[in-house]
Amino acid sequence: MGPLVVNEVISENTNLLLAFFIGIAFGFVLEQGGFSSSRKLAGVFYGYDTVVLKVFFTGAITAMLGLLFFSLFGWVDLSLVYVNETFLWSTLVGGVIMGAGFIMGGYCPGTSFCGAAIGKIDAYIFIIGLFIGVFIFGEAYNLLEPLYMAEFWGSPRISEYFGISEGVTVLVVILAAVAMFWGAEWAEKLFPRDEY
Amino acid sequence: MKNINLTPRIFLSAVILSLGLIIAAVPKNTTTPFKLTAQQILEELKSGTQYLEADAIAKMIIEKDPVLRLIDVRPQSEFEKFSLPGAINIPLDNLLAPEFQEVLNQGLMTNVLYANGSTRANEAWMLVRQLGYENNYVLQGGLNHWFETVMNPAAPAATQSDDEIAKYDFRRGASQSLGGGALVSAAGNSTDKSGGVPKPKPQGKKKGVKGGCS
Amino acid sequence: MNPYLAGVLLGLVVVAANFVSGRGLGASGAVKSAIVAGVETIAPKHADASPFYHKYSEAHQGKPLNNWLVYQMLGVVVGGFFSGVISRRLTWKVEHNPGIKSKTRLIFALAGGILFGLGSQLGRGCTSGSALSGMAVLSLGGFLSMAAIFGTAFMLAYFFRKLWI
Repeated sequence: MGPLVVNEVISENTNLLLAFFIGIAFGFVLEQGGFSSSRKLAGVFYGYDTVVLKVFFTGAITAMLGLLFFSLFGWVDLSLVYVNETFLWSTLVGGVIMGAGFIMGGYCPGTSFCGAAIGKIDAYIFIIGLFIGVFIFGEAYNLLEPLYMAEFWGSPRISEYFGISEGVTVLVVILAAVAMFWGAEWAEKLFPRDEY
Repeated sequence: MKNINLTPRIFLSAVILSLGLIIAAVPKNTTTPFKLTAQQILEELKSGTQYLEADAIAKMIIEKDPVLRLIDVRPQSEFEKFSLPGAINIPLDNLLAPEFQEVLNQGLMTNVLYANGSTRANEAWMLVRQLGYENNYVLQGGLNHWFETVMNPAAPAATQSDDEIAKYDFRRGASQSLGGGALVSAAGNSTDKSGGVPKPKPQGKKKGVKGGCS
Repeated sequence: MNPYLAGVLLGLVVVAANFVSGRGLGASGAVKSAIVAGVETIAPKHADASPFYHKYSEAHQGKPLNNWLVYQMLGVVVGGFFSGVISRRLTWKVEHNPGIKSKTRLIFALAGGILFGLGSQLGRGCTSGSALSGMAVLSLGGFLSMAAIFGTAFMLAYFFRKLWI
């Protein structure tokens, strides 16, 4: 059955329309989770508000379990789903730069649009910064290309890389996440926060 | 017994741990879904639309029709002893191997499956048809019929219809050219009673989706 | 909304996206589409010359804004707004630690945005596209991305604490 657009159950234009509705759901959930507030987002790094950890990991695990169960019931063909490529150095260096941007800006691109939707001025400024940053990358592309294209490992899944089954991989992530949830509760009791 | 305070965290953790254990224990679903039901296959078998006649194929070979792809489903040893010109070998036993799926599941070429008779080619046809592949056909009668009709055509009596005589001429010319002799241009006069070979139906090759932030 | 519930719903949205479109969510890609479209309109010759703009435009048949992510991000804005309306969280404000000035916070927001824009292009995805959606399909790149982003942020947290606490 799925993915619907690949199996031509729906057309490309319907796909784009549904993208809009999926976006609405995405934005709604992010904002309801409190991700439109930069103080809440940065809170996980100081312990006073661990909502990011809870939402992010619960979301990732629900998605992992959801996809694997869908695949088990034959509702989706996982070999046709997009798995993002691994270019070792650009992923790591990009991740480090993004981490710095996260702690300074207090947003990530998706949450900044949510924050902008409800009127957070710092979110607007962050978005302006995003455009500038992407533009800089575009102009400096020739310089950055070797780093960008280095060490292409294809699109390995974690399960393939470590040679364990997908179900076991998910179980390990779940165990780690549950441990983190308990750690988060402890941290929030330890680090107080004021209303914002 | 102390009552556990069922906070969302405890509830959620319990649920995901149980689901995680289930998904870790259950083996992966590796069945390929069949695209056509048994009833649909039966209908197609009854109408015999998968058959292509030897004359039509001979014509395509002589005219060097680019969409023709002959697939020999016999074992490799038999393929090496004799095969039709330009044929490739996909033994029936290996039909479902991943490397052959691109050949069988496509929309540019007309695949014609053949064996010594019709049986093995029909078996191959049923397998690929169940997977929803298009553009695969069976050489009616296989190589046995091929030799009887095209390569060694029986001379028609003078009382036969013009069509039969034209067919005989065509086959004689064909067998000469296919046997490696000089090309006789009898192919141009052949009546088109040999049945129009259906044009290949284009298939959107199912590619994975390109996604991500780039 | 309880964060765990929000997380479950978020995961379901990711599953829906994969089921319908065969791909996960994303955000920084929409910004890239907008930049490419902008540069092409303003300076088409420059766009043609540079491999970055050229490759992207070709891959999208000359209509860089007509792609999945752009429509998704439009939806995100609508969804976020709607959620803000029903939770009465619609206000104009700058969020920061009361101990610093708004202006300081905005300067760092800009700096953070620039870094994130640069980093997301290099890393081929941001937290939504690479980390979240990548983890959902068990991609190695997704996990590495996640580790790099959050690890770096944790390590640098001490130096920027004045912004937040």
